[in-house]
This record gives sequence, structure tokens and C-alpha cells, in this order.
Amino acid sequence: MRRSHLVLLLLATCVAAAVACSAPRSRATTTIGVSMAYFDDNWLSILRDAMVEHGRTLPDVQLQFDDAQGDVGKQLSQIQNFIAQGVSAIVVNTVDSAATPKMTRLARDAGVPLVYVNRTPSDATLPDKVVFVGSDEIQGGTLEMEELARQMNYQGNVAIMVGELATHGARFRTKATEDVIAKYPRMKIVEKQVGNWQRERGLDLMNNWLTAGRSINAVASNNDEMAIGAIMAMQQAGLPPGKILVGGVDATPDALAEVAKGAMAVTVFQNARGQGVGAVDAAVKLAKGEHVDSFVWVPFELVTKSNYQSFLKR
Amino acid sequence: MSVQTRGRRRRWHEARILLVLIAIALVFEAIGWSVRGDSFLFNSQRLLVMVLQVSIVGLLAIGVTQVIITGGIDLSSGSIVALSAMIAASLAQTSGNARAVFPALTDLPFIVPVLAGIATGAAAGAINGALIAFTAIPPFIATLGMMVTARGLARYYTRGQPISLLSDTYTRIGEGALPVLIFVAAAIIFYIALRYTRYGKFTYAIGANPQAARVSGIDVGRHLVLVYIIAGCLSGLGGVVTSARAASGQAGMGMSYELDAIAAAVIGGTSLAGGIGRISGTVIGTIILGVMTSGFTFIGFDAYIQDIVKGVVIVLAVVADQYRQRKRRTA
Repeated sequence: MRRSHLVLLLLATCVAAAVACSAPRSRATTTIGVSMAYFDDNWLSILRDAMVEHGRTLPDVQLQFDDAQGDVGKQLSQIQNFIAQGVSAIVVNTVDSAATPKMTRLARDAGVPLVYVNRTPSDATLPDKVVFVGSDEIQGGTLEMEELARQMNYQGNVAIMVGELATHGARFRTKATEDVIAKYPRMKIVEKQVGNWQRERGLDLMNNWLTAGRSINAVASNNDEMAIGAIMAMQQAGLPPGKILVGGVDATPDALAEVAKGAMAVTVFQNARGQGVGAVDAAVKLAKGEHVDSFVWVPFELVTKSNYQSFLKR
Repeated sequence: MSVQTRGRRRRWHEARILLVLIAIALVFEAIGWSVRGDSFLFNSQRLLVMVLQVSIVGLLAIGVTQVIITGGIDLSSGSIVALSAMIAASLAQTSGNARAVFPALTDLPFIVPVLAGIATGAAAGAINGALIAFTAIPPFIATLGMMVTARGLARYYTRGQPISLLSDTYTRIGEGALPVLIFVAAAIIFYIALRYTRYGKFTYAIGANPQAARVSGIDVGRHLVLVYIIAGCLSGLGGVVTSARAASGQAGMGMSYELDAIAAAVIGGTSLAGGIGRISGTVIGTIILGVMTSGFTFIGFDAYIQDIVKGVVIVLAVVADQYRQRKRRTA
């Protein structure tokens, strides 16, 4: 008897809380649900801020953010919740591109427009009302490695720092890096290890490589954070900056500072702002029933010491 | 069984973990010569790196060893690393920094962020301990809650933005061999505390039999809170050292370190049943993890297989622990 009362009370509280939470949202005419792979990733937080800022400039558009914390299952549930909640469109920054066909199907079945941002979906073709806004990872890895190769005079040993295994960026940037190196007969991959995108792991990897004694002429990292780790390891080992060429991807503020010092040879600017704004715009257009191309490409841009200053404010 | 024979048995066990460590190192030495044509072990720089890269996990392991000896567990240490790294880093920023978290609080002496980081860990530990000692919540659940909450707070603190541009005096804490020295110093302090002080006797007594400990006059609740505060302080210190090493505070720091720390303690012979465990074993367990990481990198082992091998080694260590305990009970 008493237990059933407790359950009722609990249920009533839940309902009240749900009503209280959802009330302000219903005022906006266009609600867009956004599921991010990670809230705490340096680069993704720039992307998220760009979406928030752009959303504020659009009247009647409300953005609702969820953090999937790197968990595909959680992300799928978030999408299902958005659909159940009746949002006008969904923006997904996928945790794992392999899971996108399922997400595409969920959105299509519910008739809700879906925008993939930043991480490329693995779907062979995207149906109507499902689009991708982002950059081509292959292009990013290729730009990075081609510039490193040029600075190495197309000869020497390369060590590769790979991001989190099984992520799209890690797979494709690494493949692009390897393809570039394969083009030049006097270049060789001597090391290749996983650093999980993290600065500390990059530092540890580089420490281990430096003690292994094999000569390394360049470190091609899948992102800037691991590259900065490599630079810190070189500093601590007393190597002059630039002795080993280090390349990254993302052009984060920290990385640009290293480029300015000459410690990082190259990074690649992935336009977080462009992707964030593009994704929100695409979602709003789709929600209004307008047509958007299946793939909206935001190009990567090469950053070196000669042009880094133009990226400081972006 | 007399106290003397038990002591001898424990020492024998420590020697056995040391043998495992040496065996693993020798395997890498042998593979190293065949794959690299170079020695794995005879490189002082690499020996330092082996310990350096696990010194933060080692700090957590020293804390969790004491928690496990009381019969508890601490799943929150990795998240506390992230939270205290964020808080310490935010107080270690330099002036004239456009991305300062507290623009009014820059260029503080390095001791301020260090103490703030440790205090953050202590506070989280105190909450863990109070929940476990004074409510009926099992340690697994209490620290699981702290694991999720502390990680959430670390993200919330700057809305996920990483904190960088830290002062040179602060980042020096993470440079060179200093993280190793901090780890070794903590190990020595708590080795002595567990072996030779009343604090240690109480800790083992509670883990062996909390009822008996209570009856014999130990304030079990208060002591448990103390043990969790100490574990929290060590995690907080780990966060300080991590952020100093990386010269930045990031909410993703220390991810799954708690599991590495528990693994190090268990490999080192700490029994998850409580009452048994030594810091010396935990230190060896930590170094085994470091040797495996360095060894895999040295021989260029496929990254996809590394975690599989690491997992198998951890499970084998627990199996050995179970076997040992069964033998002891029947002896």
C-alpha cells in the first residue's frame, strides 16, 4: 500500500519535472536537437559554440544539446528521444560513423530531417532530408602529410600518431598519411602507435620513441593535441624546436602558438565555425521544407608559419 | 599460523610479483633484440619513461590500495584527476591571457593551484567516505556516483573548454623526473604508514573484519572517511601532476585511470576481499603496466592487440590472487 503511494508520488514528480522542463521549449517554433559525440573535446567545443552563437542570431530557433560522451548507444537513445519529443530537425555529430545507417533509418521513418556534422556518415547514399555538413578527412590528412613531405625534401623517416581507434578521423587521416608516404620512395614509416587524441599520450609515445633510438625526421599526428605532446617530449629531451618536424590537424589556439614558435611545422585548419553554422543553417532549411544538397563540404586549409596569423581570430 | 610464517609468506609473494615483472621485461628484451636489434632495458632514459608514464596511475593506485585493504573500492579516482586538473589549471594561468578562466586570479604562486587541486580531491574523497561510512551505500555505488559526478563537474566547470597557458613554475611540476619522484615519495610515505603506524593497523583490521575492529574500539566510520580522503588527496595530486605535465587542464584527463590503478593494486597482490595488500606490491604492479606500455611501443606491437594482451595479464593476476587465497584458507 505504502509502496504504491511512493511509486505514484515518484511518477507525479517525474511528470511535473518533465512538464516544467519542456514548457519553455514549446514557445520556439523550430526546435533543433543536437547530439554531440563529446562535450569536452577541444575542437568539438568550438564547433558547439559556433552552433550556439549562430542559433542565438536566428529568431524562433531553439537548439537543444545532448552529450553522447563517446557512446554510440547513448547517442542512438538521444536521437530517439529527440524524435519522441517532436523536434523540427536533428543535428548529429556521430560518435562512430559505422552507426549512421541506423540513425538515418530512425530519422527517415519518423520524417524528421537529419544533419550529420563534422564526422562523415558511412551510409552509401543519403536519402532526401538527410545531409552531411563537414570536411573530407582524407583531404585533411593529405594536406598535412604533403606539407611535411615537402619540408622533409621528400625523404626520411616518419612516425605516425593515431587518434582513437575505430573513429572515422583516425582511420581516414592515417590512411591519407600512409598513402602520401607510399608515393615517395625515399620516405618510410618507422613508427605507428595510438595516442587516443590526448596530449599526455602523445607525450608518452614520443618519450618512448625518442628512447628507442631510431631516427625520426617527422611526426605526423592525427590531431594537434598529440602533436603538442610530441613537441613537449622533444623540449624535455633537450631537442631544439623543429629538429623533428611535427604536424597536426585542427589548428587549435594552442597549436597555432606552437606554429608561431616554429615548434610545429604544419597543422590543418578544420573550419569548426563554418561546419557549425553550416549544420544549423542546413537543419533550419530542411525543417522549413527547403532543399539542401546531400553533401555540404567545408574545405580544410593548410596552416604553416607563413600564414598562421590569419587563423588566430577564426 | 603464526605471525612469523605469515610474514614470510607475504614476502615470498612480493618476490613472486617481482619475478613476474622481471619475466615480462626479459620477454621484451628478447623480442627487442630480434625485432629492433637493440636492448630494451639497458637504456636509462627508457627506464625513466617506463615509470614516468605510469606515475599518475601509480599515485591513484597507492590510494586505491588502501581503500581496497579496508574492503572497499574507489571508481572515482580517474574522474577526480580530471576535476582537480581543471580547477588547479584554472588557478595556474598566466596574466595577459585572453582565455583565462579567472582573469582576476592569474600569476598566483604555484602552491595555490597545487593546494587547490589536492583540496578538490580531499573534498571528493570526504564525500565518498561519508557516504560509505554513514549510510548503507556500498563503496562500489558511492564511488561510481562520484565517478560520474566529478567527470560532469570537470566538464561543467568550463563547459568543456580546455584550459591552457599555465605558468612555468606550475608546469615544472610535471617536467623531467619530478612526477616519478612524487610517486616514489608518496609510495614511501604510505608504505611506512601502513606497516608501522596505528593508521595502518586500523586499516588492515577494518578490512579483515570490520565487526571485530569495531568491538576492539576502532572508530570504523571515522577511519573509513580518513582512508577515502587520503585516496582523494592522492587523486587530486594526480590531477595536479597531469595538468602540469600536459601544460593544460582538460575534462577528458584521467579517463579510465581508475581501472588501471585498481589493476596495478590487484596485480601487486592486493586482495579485493580486503585485509590484504602492500604498497610495495602496488608499486611493482604499476611498473608492470608501464613496462608493458613501453614494451609494446618499443617492439612496434599492433595497437589493436595491445589492449587484449593487457587485459589477459590483468585477469591472470586476479586468477592467481584467487588461487592464493583459496590455498591460504585451506592451509
